[in-house]
Amino acid sequence: MQTLTSPVMATDWRHSFITDREKTLTRVYAQTYPMVLHFVKQHNGTPEDAQDLLQEAIILFYEKVMHEQLVLTASATTYLLAICKNKWHQELEKRQRQARIFLTQTSPNWEEPTIASEQTNLDLGTFVAQLGKKCQEILVSFYYFGHNMPQIAAQHAYRNVHTATVQKFKCLERLRQSLANFTINDFR
Amino acid sequence: MRPALEEIKTLEAFVNGSLPEEESQELEIRLLWDEYFKQKFQLQQLAYRAIQDAGRQQLRQELKAIHTRLFST
Repeated sequence: MQTLTSPVMATDWRHSFITDREKTLTRVYAQTYPMVLHFVKQHNGTPEDAQDLLQEAIILFYEKVMHEQLVLTASATTYLLAICKNKWHQELEKRQRQARIFLTQTSPNWEEPTIASEQTNLDLGTFVAQLGKKCQEILVSFYYFGHNMPQIAAQHAYRNVHTATVQKFKCLERLRQSLANFTINDFR
Repeated sequence: MRPALEEIKTLEAFVNGSLPEEESQELEIRLLWDEYFKQKFQLQQLAYRAIQDAGRQQLRQELKAIHTRLFST
């Protein structure tokens, strides 16, 4: 058991995320969710809100840890709870604002303000999925989940690390190409 | 590796800051005058963003599965 008197360094988190993501995420989730749920329920939220909040907070935490942009001065649980509290206050303010807009809005063809931002907020992840399972796995394992090429070569039964590395760059080339076709068609 | 892949590798090293200083400077200069090269560089950066989006989606799915496993009755 980790305690506050022996804080776990962000670099240790990084190592844990790389070597055993499933177990590490499960541990963090199990420790933090009850607290987030308790907080959100006390502040006009539902269990679904708590779930969304925590999941986004863990993604943020994960990315900061992986990019080595985080110096933890408290436990991860404390850190995650602080993110959730902040985000929840922002969310409540947003909902209140929207409620006010809705009440003062008289135009009959008023549109949800979220629609426009969703349209411009393009989902680039689908371009990776379109490359097929093999490329998607190699690219995401290497760049997002921090696996090294020897690991990836073993997981995907490549003859050696060199072959896997060449494959990785081929996948990246194909991704770049499909993004090029897309940007030419849509932004010209 | 064929030249096109070597170029992708070099651009990756440049983005990571792991390219030797001299090569890195050459590349920066080329980005200033070679519009086609610059386009390829920008597309590669977009590609990394796309991978990040894909990874994030996978991570979100994993977290949802963990939630179901731990807290759904």
